[in-house]
Amino acid sequence: MIRKTLLHAILVAMLVFAVAGCGGSKESENPTTGEQVKETFSWSCSGQYRPFNYYDEGNNLTGFDVEIGKALAEKMGLEPTPVTAPWDSLINGLQAKRYDAILGSMTITEDRKQQVDFSDPYYVSGGQLFVYKESGIKSVADLKKDTKIGVLTTSTYDEEARKYSQNIINYSSDETALRDLDAGRLQAVITDRFVGKLAIDETGLKNIEMVGDLLFVEEIGIAFRQEDDTLREKVNNALKEIKQDGTYLEISKKYFDQDISK
Amino acid sequence: MHFLSDLITYGPFFFKAMQVTVLLTAASITIGMAIGLLFALLKISKRKLFNRIADIYIGLIRGTPLIVQLFFVYFGLAEIVDFGQFWSASIALAVHSGAYIAEIFRAGIQSIDRGQMEAARSLGMSYPLAMRRIILPQAFKRVIPPLGNQFIIGLKDSSLAAFIAMDELFHLAQRFAASTFRSMEFYAMGGLYYLFLITIFTLAVNALERRLKVDEI
Repeated sequence: MIRKTLLHAILVAMLVFAVAGCGGSKESENPTTGEQVKETFSWSCSGQYRPFNYYDEGNNLTGFDVEIGKALAEKMGLEPTPVTAPWDSLINGLQAKRYDAILGSMTITEDRKQQVDFSDPYYVSGGQLFVYKESGIKSVADLKKDTKIGVLTTSTYDEEARKYSQNIINYSSDETALRDLDAGRLQAVITDRFVGKLAIDETGLKNIEMVGDLLFVEEIGIAFRQEDDTLREKVNNALKEIKQDGTYLEISKKYFDQDISK
Repeated sequence: MHFLSDLITYGPFFFKAMQVTVLLTAASITIGMAIGLLFALLKISKRKLFNRIADIYIGLIRGTPLIVQLFFVYFGLAEIVDFGQFWSASIALAVHSGAYIAEIFRAGIQSIDRGQMEAARSLGMSYPLAMRRIILPQAFKRVIPPLGNQFIIGLKDSSLAAFIAMDELFHLAQRFAASTFRSMEFYAMGGLYYLFLITIFTLAVNALERRLKVDEI
């Protein structure tokens, strides 16, 4: 008897889940499910790129990008809905309409313009060389063909690093690359100057130093689907407004003690 | 070390992510069992076409990595039908574990003495009725240990949902590791929660096994 009841219980459970499975996708409130409610401005970032986008101690998504996104949404009168997705599938997710934009420190490049349209730049930064202290590397001139350089995969830093070395190691986040540099498994890392600097100043990576000037300057934009011109224009206008009314400067100063818009 | 105070500070977040992991695993295992049972029956069927279908499914799934299947459901299928994060992950995990569960069920069913089916049929039971009343209940008892094993693997496999940025245990550990640059502490913390879940589950399976043994005299 027990066996029979058990079997029945399992069959019923299967049925319940199967039914729930059919209805689930429609009822879900998750903003990444692709359900588009027009009063929201949803954007995506990796969530692993401190200080631009990361989770704080309260497990809230925050950072420069996130606050800029919220300020933009407020200007447009829309509900801000930031979500995260893995860095190398951000553009995939945008095209699959899981969110309206990518506001996650994405550099404007010709390659990416083939797939997405960018807003006006919302900040300017650049690639910077970070080295393991004992490596003896003092500038890019010391980089050799076999220097082990770590970079974020499919990033502008990846392209830059390939100019100097053939020994490139790709990472899925900057955090893992910088940690490996700190452990001496890499000789150098090329990444955003602010990201690397923060890792040294605030997160206790002791064996890393920043060397030389910016390797290149880059403009960072918000990416949209190519057919979404209206939203892109709206965001460009909102960006101008927050720059004029001082909101932008306030956020920039909070994270970097300076205006990073130029 | 920060570790003990971190356990308390970040506890509530890990607890919530643990619930997501449990839900994801429960959904995928339940659907996976249904898939597994279906394909086990197809595989032992006398019809060649059914056998062929089961072979193709099992071969395809066991021959490709789970991460590929997950990306296929989440990114590939999204062009046609978007199941959303939770159900994409559940479906991918269910379809994956279903192939293994099918083989477990098949082995269980085939381990039951042929005479049982013959006796049931000669009593006038139809094939489906004999399967449901006589064969499956006996087979189910035998497959509990390998099934329990498969569930543990499924629970740990759910961590791959981190690659579609789902808020489960491993991804939570990953995101705190990224913002604090203290990877070891956070991965260790995530590991502890998995260990906790699997220990509880193992105890439950053991209890179930004992209980069913008493029933058999």
